[in-house]
Amino acid sequence: MEQFITSWLGSTPAFAIPLALASMGLVLCERAGVLNMGAEGYMALGAMTAAVLTLTLGNPAIGIICAVLAGAALALLFGFAVVIMRCEQILAGLATMAVGLGIAGVVGRPYVHKSFAGLQPLDLPVLDRIPLIGRLVFNQDILVYLTVLIGVALWLLLERTRAGLKIRAVGEDPASADVAGVQVQVQQLVAITASGALCGLAGAYLSVASSSIWVENMVAGRGWIALALVVFARWDPLKALAGAFLFGAIEALLPRLQAIGVPAPTYLMNMLPYLFTIAVLLVAAWSGSKKGMAPAALGKPYVRQDRH
Amino acid sequence: MSNVRLTLERRQRISTLRSTTTYTLGLLIGLACGLLVLLAAGAPASTLLNDLVIQVFFSAMGLAQTLTLAVPLILVGLSATAAMRLRFWNVGIEGQLWLGAIGATLVAINDVGSDSLRLPTMLIMSAIAGAAWIAVPLILKLKAGVNELVVTLLLSNVAYLLLQHLLFGAWKDPVNSFPVSPRYGDNEQLASLGFGNLHSGIYIALGITLLMAILVQKSRTGFYIDVIGHNRPTALATGIPVTATITLMILLSGALAGLAGGLIVTGVEHRLTQTIGINTTFSGIVIAFIARFNPLAVLPTAIVLAGIYNAGGTLKVFYGIPDAIVVLIQGIVLLTLLMIQFFRSYRVSLLRPSIKQPT
Repeated sequence: MEQFITSWLGSTPAFAIPLALASMGLVLCERAGVLNMGAEGYMALGAMTAAVLTLTLGNPAIGIICAVLAGAALALLFGFAVVIMRCEQILAGLATMAVGLGIAGVVGRPYVHKSFAGLQPLDLPVLDRIPLIGRLVFNQDILVYLTVLIGVALWLLLERTRAGLKIRAVGEDPASADVAGVQVQVQQLVAITASGALCGLAGAYLSVASSSIWVENMVAGRGWIALALVVFARWDPLKALAGAFLFGAIEALLPRLQAIGVPAPTYLMNMLPYLFTIAVLLVAAWSGSKKGMAPAALGKPYVRQDRH
Repeated sequence: MSNVRLTLERRQRISTLRSTTTYTLGLLIGLACGLLVLLAAGAPASTLLNDLVIQVFFSAMGLAQTLTLAVPLILVGLSATAAMRLRFWNVGIEGQLWLGAIGATLVAINDVGSDSLRLPTMLIMSAIAGAAWIAVPLILKLKAGVNELVVTLLLSNVAYLLLQHLLFGAWKDPVNSFPVSPRYGDNEQLASLGFGNLHSGIYIALGITLLMAILVQKSRTGFYIDVIGHNRPTALATGIPVTATITLMILLSGALAGLAGGLIVTGVEHRLTQTIGINTTFSGIVIAFIARFNPLAVLPTAIVLAGIYNAGGTLKVFYGIPDAIVVLIQGIVLLTLLMIQFFRSYRVSLLRPSIKQPT
């Protein structure tokens, strides 16, 4: 039993980290008032970029950095469309998602199913033998620790700094923020680009850290789950991090159960995170509390001359 | 010079000429970018016209395949149109499509009804299943104000897991090593028209397009839809039945997506498989948007997109270009069309200081 829990928790980050990084990026973006439907595409582009560069250069670090840049660049295209050209955010997001998935599929084609030496876990002797949580806490790769750091930093940024206040102001009431001297467009572009970078990193984790291979459709809907996680976490980066670990733990449980021969209805159990999220949405709507609501200006393009 | 700045102003009146010009330009630029991407991906320029146009629209086998692919695309395009006209974000078209396919298969496997009525029962069941699947986000939205965007999305994932649960479990064909349902009987398949794989589902798609056009453009409901879509407070204030209209149209959106699934399984696959309907949510939205939410325009748009999908298959086989390129082209065209609307909706002007400096 103890060994079962240790290996279950130890394999949880592999499922949780991509969700955590992407959903924290989306939290930042939505707090700035921009609904970003492109995550799935940025993640695919990041996963492909990291895998292709690791394959050709043999260095996962360069691959991961370029994946972050690729995700940020695609998000910047989305940002240009919605912030400068004032496009409808949901449609522009879906379009950039398609561009990301398309580029990943076309460019990555020759590199499909080629395994490579990816990112290795940090080797912390003795500590990883601590019962139950040893493998979870002390036998992970550097991105896992980085993810937790990013979560805390993002929370501090949003809740405890002036820069965060500006971002939140833009998401709640861009007209007032504008009058107060906040550059609405700049804030939104920065938030969007950062969310793309985090999604790119999430994709890189999938290909370079957790599987050491690139296959098409590798992201497999994780970008959408990340989007739902934002709502699940009520737009709080730390809750998004926790939620990602919860979802990751459920996903990680199934292969473990099968490994010890417990018959589990895999597909039905995989529905649980989705159904649970819908239940959370419903409870939040019914309770009607103002705390943890969506940013008031989410999804609305801002034009200074409009009446608000 | 420092006093001069750019301002952005929403145009109060947009002329038809401006609308038409920007839309046409956007479409042309988008398609041109798509062509460039195709060439960059390694499609030979010399045979592009042949591969993209002649083979898929002007050869008998190519046209048959294009029209076969167009049948579900027409229906998901109409499904997206029905929802988007009311500004309801149905991003779960795939989920409703899968439920439709599951509903049809449920009827086939359990031999519901008499043999002669089996096929219509399957198709009706597919529409009901699709409508039932969208009823959940609809009720949550109307009764509790839950955002439909996330719920439709999540239920798509649930639908796919349900599909897999059935195909890897109770419905798995015992004589097949793949996760597919047993093959339908002859009375459970749409008639082949003897023109490639084309089946009688094309008539259903054409008929429904016509009915949708009448509903949206000629009926009283169509008028309600316009008012609600453009200005909901006005609709409520003038006593238009807002909830009833939304309920009708959103259930219709789900039913059309479900029927698309029903037509794929009864017309082409002749069994339930896990590869149907991939990317149909996005394609449906792209079709509806390019068709400017006009049902009659959905028809040619869906057929052209089906042609591109068909050509994508050829490019894959002959030049090794992955079919992801079709998704990429759709993304580019949609993004260009969205961006060009900037020049339709806004006026950019240089604002100069109003008081002249004395010289």
